[in-house]
Amino acid sequence: MIMNRRSLMTTALTLGAMKAFPGLSYAQARPLVFATFTGSWEEAHKAVLVPAFRKANADAAIVLDPMLSVDQIAKVNAAKANPPIDVMLHDPGPALVAIGQDLVEPYPVEKSAYYKDLISEAQEPTGPAPFFQVVGLTYNPEAIKTPPTSWADLWKPEFKGRVGITNLNSTLGTGWLVEIAKMRGGSEANVDPGFKALEELKPNLAAVAANPGALATLFQQGQIDISPGNFNAIQILKARGVPVEFVAPKEGAIAFKTTIHIVKNSPNRELAFKLIEAALTPEVQTTLMNPPYLIVPTNSKVTMGGEIARVLAKDTAELKQKFVFQDWKKINEQRSAWIERFNREIKI
Amino acid sequence: MGAAPASRDVTSYGMGLAVPLALFFLVFFVAPLLQLLWLSLHNDTAGLHWGLGQYLHFLTDPFSLSVLGSTLLLGAEVTAVCLVLGFPIAWLYQRVGPKLQTVIILIVLLPLLTSVVVRTFAWIVILGRQGIINATLQSLGMIDTPLKLLYTQFGVVIALAQVQMPLMTLPLITALGRIDPNLDDASCSLGAGSWRTFFRVVLPLSLPGIIAGCTLTYAAAITAFITQSLIGGGQMLFMPMYLYQQASTLQNWPFASAISIIFLLAVLAVVSVFTTLGRLSRGYGGA
Repeated sequence: MIMNRRSLMTTALTLGAMKAFPGLSYAQARPLVFATFTGSWEEAHKAVLVPAFRKANADAAIVLDPMLSVDQIAKVNAAKANPPIDVMLHDPGPALVAIGQDLVEPYPVEKSAYYKDLISEAQEPTGPAPFFQVVGLTYNPEAIKTPPTSWADLWKPEFKGRVGITNLNSTLGTGWLVEIAKMRGGSEANVDPGFKALEELKPNLAAVAANPGALATLFQQGQIDISPGNFNAIQILKARGVPVEFVAPKEGAIAFKTTIHIVKNSPNRELAFKLIEAALTPEVQTTLMNPPYLIVPTNSKVTMGGEIARVLAKDTAELKQKFVFQDWKKINEQRSAWIERFNREIKI
Repeated sequence: MGAAPASRDVTSYGMGLAVPLALFFLVFFVAPLLQLLWLSLHNDTAGLHWGLGQYLHFLTDPFSLSVLGSTLLLGAEVTAVCLVLGFPIAWLYQRVGPKLQTVIILIVLLPLLTSVVVRTFAWIVILGRQGIINATLQSLGMIDTPLKLLYTQFGVVIALAQVQMPLMTLPLITALGRIDPNLDDASCSLGAGSWRTFFRVVLPLSLPGIIAGCTLTYAAAITAFITQSLIGGGQMLFMPMYLYQQASTLQNWPFASAISIIFLLAVLAVVSVFTTLGRLSRGYGGA
């Protein structure tokens, strides 16, 4: 027994040391780690952003480590002094959490060659927005012959039992509720009118999906014919042959800034800056705007083309006019109370 | 080869060999669990102020309690369906030839070989508005408008029952296999009918298997986050989704920890009821 324990301890210590010491030396010279999102984001970044960055920076080593915003925050929080990630990507809500927890390095705006070309909404000194996500109305053109034009169309009696929404766990769900509230005289600070509107929407509701991805499945299965939806997600569905169309409602499409941040105490600060610069260049943004990615650009030097020009905006001026940006600082203050209220009130 | 020296105490092997697993458990299970408990005893999200606020919040909130209740109920429903449907399969297994036995075991194990996500998506296709059930019923003229099956409690129970079925069937097959077939004949020759034999002989003797199967199915059903959220949707809230919402979307880790601890205790309570029944049944079976 004693022999066993002793040899076990020795083995454990050796293993531990082997694990710990390369880890220490690794930290000083590890490749740049970019935590992108999973799925189509990772694909787009692997195919376009990473090659562009490596070309501009003498083939610098870079690792994509795709994960959710919350996981990025948790990982950086667990090792603030020596973070395992150099560049984070965030939706508006989590971005504010990361900034609030002091995990983000201010962006060296004066050094940046492209920052000033970004449209003003994308210029964030804590980390610029290289892309927008756009939420509008999604519908099945085979079932709905006259395209919807307004958020208010969801309440039309002919869509009884045909409407899908998501709960407030997602940025999409929360942003949409705020927009509905605004349409009925509310604001980011007052979503009461939005909840009243939801109550009236109940006869039309076929499904409250647990996440925006589930909405796609529901369209495919004919479970719903109309819903608020993410522009990019719809393009992916469309490319797979699902009959769906996207329209920007006349109240304006909701635009979320996807912001990119240098992590505080990153050992690769300079390369992190270079990667973000690459994400802001008109070249990268133009390639990402074209099929199959169709990611909405934020650099005003990019000439809009293709599907984005057709259904969203022809140029930056029209984009600013047609997009609605929300105050997520205000939204975050009350979001937990809204989620709780949604849990309680929305039962169909 | 050869027998171990007689002087060596054979029981010491067991302890030594268990050390790696025990260490693994200590580091990766007990330690995080203690951390969870520590976090749940704080009143603020930063984890600075000690207190029982999170537990009070949960236990005095009718909504939270109803989420817990509906989750435990869901588990009971799924377990009941699995037991009713799984028992005949296990019973059949013991009464067919070896070829059919292979077929049955393949059918039982097949779901385990595909991912839960795939199995759940299949259920979306089956239960959907234009799914197999609705299409069949409509073509038979039994219904005019499609039934709402997806995003209902019924849908969740059915899908979970299929997804978790192997956990019930396998212990049952083992338990029924241990029963001496002569006991059936003995019971019959003593004048008992088939049903009487089943209820007085087979069922009591298979109780250990039933209890093992129920425990496994129950625990798996109530924690099945993927199936619950994909088939149940966003408005049917069960404990795993409630937990995810608080931890992930709202970053309220102390409350999420308290929810996990309460959920854990509730599940432990249910499981200990099962084990108590199991202990009683062992006495019964031996009698």
